[in-house]
Amino acid sequence: MSELGKLATLELGYQVEQFYYREARFMNQRQHRQWLESMVHEDIHYWLPITENRMLNDKRPEPTPEDGAIYNDNYGDLDDRIKRLETGLVWMEDPPSRIRHLISNVEVYHTDQEQQLSVYSNFHVYRNRRQRDETNLIGGREDVLVRDGDGFKILKRKINLDMRVVLDKNLYFFI
Amino acid sequence: MVNVDSLIDLDKAVQSKKIFWDQEVYDQEMENIFARSWLFLTHESQIPEPGDFFTTFMGEDPIIVARQQDGSIKAFINSCTHRGNQVCHADSGNTRSFVCSYHGWAFGLDGSLAGVPLEAEVYYNQLDKDSMSLREVAQVDSYRGFVFGCFDTETPPLAEWLGEMAWYMDSWANTGGGAELIGTPMKTILKCNWKVPTENFIGDGYHITWTHIAALQIIGGPLGEAFGSGELPPLEDMGAQITTRHGHGFGVIWDVGHAIHRNPQNYVEFQQQTLPEVIEKQGEWGGKMYTGHWNASLFPNCSFLYGTNTFKIWHPKGPHEIEVWTWSLVQKNMSPELKREIQKEAIMSFGTAGTLESDDGENMETCTRTNRGFQTRKGSMNASMGLGVEGRHPELPGVVGSNFIGETSYRGFYRFWDEMMRAASWDDIKKNDATWVDRWLGEGAVSKLPSSQAA
Repeated sequence: MSELGKLATLELGYQVEQFYYREARFMNQRQHRQWLESMVHEDIHYWLPITENRMLNDKRPEPTPEDGAIYNDNYGDLDDRIKRLETGLVWMEDPPSRIRHLISNVEVYHTDQEQQLSVYSNFHVYRNRRQRDETNLIGGREDVLVRDGDGFKILKRKINLDMRVVLDKNLYFFI
Repeated sequence: MVNVDSLIDLDKAVQSKKIFWDQEVYDQEMENIFARSWLFLTHESQIPEPGDFFTTFMGEDPIIVARQQDGSIKAFINSCTHRGNQVCHADSGNTRSFVCSYHGWAFGLDGSLAGVPLEAEVYYNQLDKDSMSLREVAQVDSYRGFVFGCFDTETPPLAEWLGEMAWYMDSWANTGGGAELIGTPMKTILKCNWKVPTENFIGDGYHITWTHIAALQIIGGPLGEAFGSGELPPLEDMGAQITTRHGHGFGVIWDVGHAIHRNPQNYVEFQQQTLPEVIEKQGEWGGKMYTGHWNASLFPNCSFLYGTNTFKIWHPKGPHEIEVWTWSLVQKNMSPELKREIQKEAIMSFGTAGTLESDDGENMETCTRTNRGFQTRKGSMNASMGLGVEGRHPELPGVVGSNFIGETSYRGFYRFWDEMMRAASWDDIKKNDATWVDRWLGEGAVSKLPSSQAA
């Protein structure tokens, strides 16, 4: 993210937090289509890079969107993933799994683009599947939100998952 | 010792469910199979420069693979010869030495013990450093850039171990500049036995139409149209299954190598440009392999999808858990743009958040977990599909099943698994080299796959 601008006001910060809570509710209620169409910008870059354990003195550059990534999605890619879920033929989601997003540490900053906000947040995603299959995934997000009428749309999202070996069988859900 | 006789029935093509659950079977696998097989380590493209290293596992043993100053590759157990601490904690990097974080012992790139703090003062110069190198993996070799290691000096050379499988792999691994693996591997866990995904990749054409139906409908293309509707193309000319001497095998669907790519035009163009090269080297059958889609496993625990450009290793973590490591498989002469395009699609389908990857995990876990039940694991599993219509083929190496949807390569995997679990030595295995097909399928077993398919 570029240099941080001015901290958002209490009211703007509150609006962004509410935006995130609504987003989490859509995901938890499997309203993926509604999330995509009402909260995601058509030029989105939704990115979850692969992080490697490297020594501190390792001079290789950090991952960029040119590298392979767990998510490196544009709007059409997200749409394809959601269409798959909508087929009703995804056996692993029948009966459906339970998922809960807890969002915290929201920091909202203005940027040099008047319509854009730079936002950090943390997440804790709890998944519970079948009888007693559960996983906890914790990490941070770096977003660029664009003002859209009274609300916002997500233009960029970088997800930093705090684990090298993903301690789950897959990450086929949205964070 | 495990009673191996009760586990695999080759004639009926059934396997005891105990092979996915019992600790004693697993312990025997570590000794008889993992300690004596060539195991995939990395690809040379992942460690191109002297000093480059990559850390992995052979079975459950932690391993450092390092490119030496002279360009050769060595591998060592990642455990200090003093008190056993791990000496390298990075996934990869470039270094001149590996320094243990416990007492500061320093090992060179070649594994030799180069430095011991206070050596003169506390060891009185009596430490025999020459005998305290990191333990080296006995054999390390590459085939078309794929680097393997083996702890057993008696195991035949890598090219011989791959055997007939190498001819098939050459169709793409020796074309377009050769194969390479790109990117940092993704790593996930599955609570399943290591053989569940290995057998699935080696020969399960059957599940594609059902397990992956949702993803295939979205991807469209030839497989989406055929499988997404639940209807199959004519089975008799759809493809084939192959199994080879040392248990390696694959299933291939003709002409749809690119089928899991959503926009495959550039990939198809590259294949068409390079196809004459394969045909020149390996004839029409080579070309047929090159333009097909493969699901494949190399015995014991390495799998790949040629066409979907996905390469995986299933690291065992006890009988009921594995780590899944996933790379993207491309050809060197592809443009950087095409490599990126292919990598994105490969990860979209079979990466950590893949549209097809996520279909399989649940099945693989419960195929393992149900065997927790005492009565359940008294039962057996069946892999008899296509039994009796497989055998030698006049034009193709190995044993050839008569259709893409069959379980020939499952059976071939467990045939060799059984052989290794029983064999006391490599001499026991080698003496079957000339007769393995006849001993397994009876004399004169012939594949019904028509030779005309190559044309």
